[in-house]
Amino acid sequence: MPHIAILNRDAHHDLRVRPHGVNQPEDRMHFVPVVVGEFGHLVTHYPILFAKDAETGAFFAGAMLGFEPGENLFAAEPPSRDVYRPLNLQRVPFFTSGDNIAIDLDSPRVGTHADGQGLFDETGGPSPYLQGIMGVFQQLVPGLERTRAFIARLLQLRLIEPVTFDLTFDDGRTITTDGLYTIDQDALRGLPDEAALALFRDGSLHLMSLMIASLKQVPQLARRKNDQLTQGFSGLSGAFG
Amino acid sequence: MTESVHHIVIVGGGTAGWLTAGIIAARHKSRIQSGRFSVTLVESPNISIVGVGEGTWPTLRGTLEKIGVSETDFFRECDAAFKQGAKFAKWTTGTDDDYYYHPLMFPQGFTQQNLAPHWLRDGGGRSFCDAVSPQGQLCEAGLAPKMITTPEYQAVANYAYHLDAGKFAPFLMRHCTQKLGVRHVLADVTGVNQAGNGDIISVSTEQAGEVAGDLFVDCTGFHALLLGKALGVPFRDCSDVLFCDTALAVQVPFDEEDAPLASHTHSTALKAGWVWDIALPTRRGLGYVYSSRHTSEEAAHEELAAYVGPKFKDLKVRKIPIRSGHRETFWKNNCVAVGLAAGFLEPLEASAIVLIELSAKLIAEQMPANRQVMDIIARRFNETTLYRWGRIIDFLKLHYTLTQRTDTAFWRDNCDPATIPERLQNLMTLWTYQSPWFFDEFDRLEEVFPAASYQYVLYGMGFKTEVEDDEAADAVRARRLMGENLALTQRLRSQLPKNRDLIRKIHDFGLQPV
Ligand SMILES: Cc1cc2nc3c(=O)[nH]c(=O)nc-3n(C[C@H](O)[C@H](O)[C@H](O)COP(=O)(O)OP(=O)(O)OC[C@H]3O[C@@H](n4cnc5c(N)ncnc54)[C@H](O)[C@@H]3O)c2cc1C
Repeated sequence: MPHIAILNRDAHHDLRVRPHGVNQPEDRMHFVPVVVGEFGHLVTHYPILFAKDAETGAFFAGAMLGFEPGENLFAAEPPSRDVYRPLNLQRVPFFTSGDNIAIDLDSPRVGTHADGQGLFDETGGPSPYLQGIMGVFQQLVPGLERTRAFIARLLQLRLIEPVTFDLTFDDGRTITTDGLYTIDQDALRGLPDEAALALFRDGSLHLMSLMIASLKQVPQLARRKNDQLTQGFSGLSGAFG
Repeated sequence: MTESVHHIVIVGGGTAGWLTAGIIAARHKSRIQSGRFSVTLVESPNISIVGVGEGTWPTLRGTLEKIGVSETDFFRECDAAFKQGAKFAKWTTGTDDDYYYHPLMFPQGFTQQNLAPHWLRDGGGRSFCDAVSPQGQLCEAGLAPKMITTPEYQAVANYAYHLDAGKFAPFLMRHCTQKLGVRHVLADVTGVNQAGNGDIISVSTEQAGEVAGDLFVDCTGFHALLLGKALGVPFRDCSDVLFCDTALAVQVPFDEEDAPLASHTHSTALKAGWVWDIALPTRRGLGYVYSSRHTSEEAAHEELAAYVGPKFKDLKVRKIPIRSGHRETFWKNNCVAVGLAAGFLEPLEASAIVLIELSAKLIAEQMPANRQVMDIIARRFNETTLYRWGRIIDFLKLHYTLTQRTDTAFWRDNCDPATIPERLQNLMTLWTYQSPWFFDEFDRLEEVFPAASYQYVLYGMGFKTEVEDDEAADAVRARRLMGENLALTQRLRSQLPKNRDLIRKIHDFGLQPV
């Protein structure tokens, strides 16, 4: 069990949190849960799809960072501003507990590392870093509810359908994805005018368009993987050649 | 002048009445919405439904989906559970280790090749069921046929349901009246008004006056009020083939709330019949179906008590007389019978509800446009339905004729050739030399029991078909298919959740529609 504690300025005054990119478990997630408020940012890099929670079967929205468990094709990316990181990665190692923010004290990022970010300033107020994390939760918490409502609406109108991607890579490997879902575009086109207008008015249609557009990121993501595979090869052949 | 058929009146609100109403109303939904067609169900507020009949066939999945029911709601509101087949114990020799499975999955590669001859030559020490299907193993391990991520009505391993019959009819009633526009009249039918040609014009009721219609469906259960009483269609008794004529039914609570939940029907042979044992999430429903010609009620009580154990003394036993047989025809004039009004056979293979579904579907699909064409459709309906009853009788009798038990007169009498229909005798002769598969007699489009079912029962009960050597290519393929079955069995055993756990999750989270 991770040791999760509610954040407290006295107890946690000296704690420091290392930024991401140190090969933590969350950096190896291939499918990260996201909220509808992020779709506009996500669409420029990641396929946005639905998957089912293995425990409850409930649908959730996620950004695809890799094709297989453990594969994050963006992990090697130097932290730069132009690749958006999903909020659920930005928030690590923090959680919410009721209205409070909690921290995973067992996370390898958390300690008194000199290179880490402090959480509180001299006056005991939140540091700019912690303010950033609080900002993340301000989007994430209400975002979860909105995302659930969005999904419920699509299910009710039968607008979700399964999708599989068959990919072949230059090293001869093939991958067939499993358990992914997207917008059923035929069903969408077949909606009565009234229902379509309601979806437009409440913003759902826009979110669906973003999801549909994000499918164009699948080949991009595949190319990323291919590049990494073939770079590995050329590196190898370089060593031998 | 052609008289259009626009108004359907169903009399009876048991499983048969409401399933028929749902199937017809869903099929003619837009005509009902536009007011050109109506389905009315008249049901007595005083005569209760039979309220047993808790084992079904996988067809019910398709039926419920088609009438627009959510599978999650069905599980929650009907106390439903998964059924992956039946386990027959003590049918062959009567010893404690005597059992076999009749699962719901086809043998591996069934459409490509008949594996039975290969298994008969070299079964690798496995039962027929285990050699060709994973499902017996899944049942033994108490596993569910799907996962919480599997969409509604989709299966990983083929399945049907166990359900609470007392909750199923009201559940369907709510759906039919709220979603499908079925009119519900709570009234006792006191008279049937007929035209000179015998057609039913209307039924008179005590509480709601006359209810008129163009086509009447008799779902009045054992009363057979319209087809039997009013139209006088005789009953064809078949107790000379199937001897059981009485059921003693009880409901048994679980010892603890989360006791393991079997995902198959237990059917255990006793001295003068057999016990069905069906596990619902909240209780077991079971009953001894026996022949009163072969045992007394006291002796039957004792046998049932021994089966149930110490709890039996606190349980209320319900005695249900049953009469095996069916109407000579099922559709006469403008009246067609569905459910117990059409007939009854002991519930050994849960064939009653599936026959209700098939009959209602046939009526809904072939809904006569007018009175003139109705007789053509009635003739076809009768031919198909009579064929189905005959095949079910044969299939049920097969379970008895294959027994090696001689411990009681019941089992000995069952093997008397004079009690075995000629058609079945011929088939048994045929199957001594070639095993049932495609191209056998029963390969109609909608056969109640396909050749696979016959295979599971025949070879489960130790029937021997003489086989010659395989064609070489067939032998290779058979070995591959059986290997695939073993791999599949292993994979499913590690993948599928416990039956009780999945049903709890369905109650907590629901299944997704996609
Ligand atoms: C012991 C036993 C076990 C069974 N097990 C299985 C099984 O495992 N699987 C399976 O598929 N089937 C099984 N069956 C069969 C199954 O129970 C029935 O096929 C099913 O319940 C359908 O019954 P029904 O609707 O035809 O009749 P009923 O449930 O009897 O309904 C009759 C309806 O007619 C109405 N009615 C009667 N008279 C009048 C009147 N004068 N006016 C108005 N309405 C009237 C009643 O109010 C009632 O609504 C079993 C049956 C028995 C007896």
